[in-house]
Amino acid sequence: MPEFNQELIEAFKAKAALVSAKVVEKATIADALQYAFEVCQAKEPAQLLAPENCETGPKGPLGCPTRATKILAAPSLSDEDFAALEKLCEGKNIACIKDNLRKHLAGIDVGFSFAELGVAASGTCMAITDKEDVRLSGMIAEIHVLVLQKSKIYPDLPSIAPFLRERMNGGKVSYTTLITGPSRTADIERVGAIGVHGPLELHIILLEG
Amino acid sequence: MHTAPTSAADYHNRIDEALHDDFLRRTLDKFAVEYRKSRTDVFQEVDERGLIKQIADAKDYACQHMDELYAQFKSEAEKRGVHVHLAKDAAEARMIIARIARQSNVKYIVKSKSMTAEEIELNPELERQGFVVDETDLGEWIIQLRHEGPSHMVMPAIHLSRYQVADVFQKATGEEQDREDIQRLVKVARVQLRRKFINADMGISGANFAIAENGAIATVTNEGNARMVTTLPRVHVAIAGLDKLIPSLDQALTTLLVLPRNATAQRLTSYVTWMCGANECQSAKGGVKEMHVVFLDNGRREISKDPLFKQIFRCVRCGACANVCPVFRLVGGHKMGYIYIGAIGLILTYFFHGKDKAKYLCQNCIGCESCANVCAGGIELPRLIREIRSRLTAEDGSVPGALMSAAMKNRKIFHSLLKFASFAQKPFTGGTQFQRHLPAIFLGKHSFKALPAIADKAFRDRWPSIAPKVSNPVMRVAIFGGCAQDFVYPEELEAAVKILGAKNVSVEYPMEQTCCGLPLEMMGQRATSKDVAKQNINAFYNGNYDYVVTLCASCASHLKHSYPKLLADDPEMSRKAEFFSEKVIDFSSFIHDKLKLTADDFVNNGEKITYHASCHLCRGLQVKEAPRELIKDAGEYIPCAEEEVCCGFGGTYSAKFPEISAKLLEKKLDNVAATGATTLVVDCPGCVMQLKGGAEKRKMGVTVKHMSELLAEHLKK
Repeated sequence: MPEFNQELIEAFKAKAALVSAKVVEKATIADALQYAFEVCQAKEPAQLLAPENCETGPKGPLGCPTRATKILAAPSLSDEDFAALEKLCEGKNIACIKDNLRKHLAGIDVGFSFAELGVAASGTCMAITDKEDVRLSGMIAEIHVLVLQKSKIYPDLPSIAPFLRERMNGGKVSYTTLITGPSRTADIERVGAIGVHGPLELHIILLEG
Repeated sequence: MHTAPTSAADYHNRIDEALHDDFLRRTLDKFAVEYRKSRTDVFQEVDERGLIKQIADAKDYACQHMDELYAQFKSEAEKRGVHVHLAKDAAEARMIIARIARQSNVKYIVKSKSMTAEEIELNPELERQGFVVDETDLGEWIIQLRHEGPSHMVMPAIHLSRYQVADVFQKATGEEQDREDIQRLVKVARVQLRRKFINADMGISGANFAIAENGAIATVTNEGNARMVTTLPRVHVAIAGLDKLIPSLDQALTTLLVLPRNATAQRLTSYVTWMCGANECQSAKGGVKEMHVVFLDNGRREISKDPLFKQIFRCVRCGACANVCPVFRLVGGHKMGYIYIGAIGLILTYFFHGKDKAKYLCQNCIGCESCANVCAGGIELPRLIREIRSRLTAEDGSVPGALMSAAMKNRKIFHSLLKFASFAQKPFTGGTQFQRHLPAIFLGKHSFKALPAIADKAFRDRWPSIAPKVSNPVMRVAIFGGCAQDFVYPEELEAAVKILGAKNVSVEYPMEQTCCGLPLEMMGQRATSKDVAKQNINAFYNGNYDYVVTLCASCASHLKHSYPKLLADDPEMSRKAEFFSEKVIDFSSFIHDKLKLTADDFVNNGEKITYHASCHLCRGLQVKEAPRELIKDAGEYIPCAEEEVCCGFGGTYSAKFPEISAKLLEKKLDNVAATGATTLVVDCPGCVMQLKGGAEKRKMGVTVKHMSELLAEHLKK
């Protein structure tokens, strides 16, 4: 068992909870995949916010048609892990996809991706989103599941400067996202509301190792 | 869409309209109180002052190296496939963006929030040229549908109720909306705007940071619309003022510790997006996005050379200056800015949109220093607003205040006028401290409080008979009286003299002293303000005093902080000003910290006493403990809700904006009444004037006293 800075982990969990992120702890990537599958299975089918050429189910609470087959997008999984995820979803009316998320901009059920590191002071995850499909998986999914290794939690924003710099300097092209809780607004009467344009829920899986 | 007041009367009408908007009042009241608390909470984990200083220094550096940072950014961004443009003004920026859209065969445009795009009034021009433009930030979308401008830099639709939003959504969608359920209304935007994201050919975003070391831009958002805008369409145009350039990402990370905390009391927003170079876009030619960054000058390079005003580029657009502003709280953003809102808005309006737009707006700062106290870049906002007033005066002499200025240039004339007033008001006072019988017609909007009377005998005329004789003094002080105490409330000074004499402090009252000059500054009369500053410094300069004690927080703050700055261009006077300012101290701090009087020196009869913390004491001088400790020495201190919020006096402000001053006083007195205290103690004669007048008018049975009077009454014999 590797050593973790338990204090940072606890601080991260506390701050993530304050911004309505759901934090769970899992031992292995297989457990994380199982979790993502279960989340997808348990949720109501995604509502289609725009026309899409696909089979639809009854209307959802927003008055939009729903997906007859749920979509779980995991664009950054290795082929092996993706196969394992597909196997979990087999026969459960969940389609696993790795790419071409643009075909499903009307909305998907779950996006599964990895965080490069975490920031304890604000419960933030830094995600490498250079690839458009990875970016979209955290934008158009109703539930975004992010996997963060416990060993990669840093105390505060200034302490992640070297990692950000590494991604941007030396002529590199990159698109990096710091994610702190689900999409939110308080634009109407300052009443907090979750899930405006992005995910309605953010789940963070803290992974051993 | 955006309109600025065209005359003082027009502005007062607009203010009245806002003051009668019950929804606006309730919303902003609630916000002001909640924000103050949440902000305090989230700042507990970081070194607020240290971070603000770091941001100020970093932004000052960036401002001095604007051209170099632009060149570096351009070179780095171009290496990464980004097209970088520089627009000299709003018209050129609009032209560049429209040209990009035309050349890329764009029809549909989606936008995420950008104050810079608001500044250049981009949408109308794009629409005129046939493009379809949709705002995607919820608040911006709402006001776009209503054809309005934002009323807050961070919460653009804070002035609207759910019902107004439901109405506008009903019109836009043609569907019945649930008028109560805000969560449902938010989802209307989710559904309606997704299609627009998908169909858009071009996305326009702002940028919170433009990082020179790597040509990256970053946006700080909550809704996630900026990520859609910068990801889905094949073309992305980011627009940023040149002031958004910073050398490296370290400054961005530091700023991120303050910006969200200040804006919405969040530790960090949901998303911070770092876009470094033209990134992958599957709908674009070759799978790579066409990306442009348009920098806007619009006067910024010129202002960056101004020794005083260059500090406006420390602004990170957090909106905190509006969040804490007692005037914003009453009138809302549409009455407190043209496009940019709040204290910084008054200033930016002058520079970006011209003096015609700023002329009346920039009068509407009460000078309470609340904004300067929370500004993420430590900008001296009220000072800059006063400075703009004096520039407006210089550019166009015919503003109120010229007559007063002429009188105050000469101390003897000014003081004779005040004494004449004492004689002339006699028929109206009935021998009381208030002007009782002024016909209401003369008072108009000023009738919300009883106006004070000028004292029969000014303090300076009482001085020879009351000056204490002290042998072997423990300290030597001189009193700076200030007009309000010299001529209206001499008893406050007399009380102070009684305590000082009893505690063996030698006291002098230099007769050549005059008005501190703050009222002149508030009216934009810079030249006379400098004249009286010199007179005062000279009046005290040759005396051998340990301290210059003043019982007026506003005078103290002005003498201490403004004099050295006002006289900075005169080496001889500025040296004397520094020497003088060093010695200036407020009464409570002197009694508590220097003379070190304690509970042992006072009789505590358990009287219930509450406190109003004067703006210039608690923020201007950062004096918070001493007065409250002294109250505890003399009675039972009952804290008042919103104790540090302005009472609405603001010197000449209460004459310029009586309708706002009255509302602030009303709130203050409501809070005072709720404490159940029988005495209200204040450390500034200006506040005493306002609060005494208000308490008298309401007959609320609370005695308003200056700290000196309270302590003199409770001093052990």
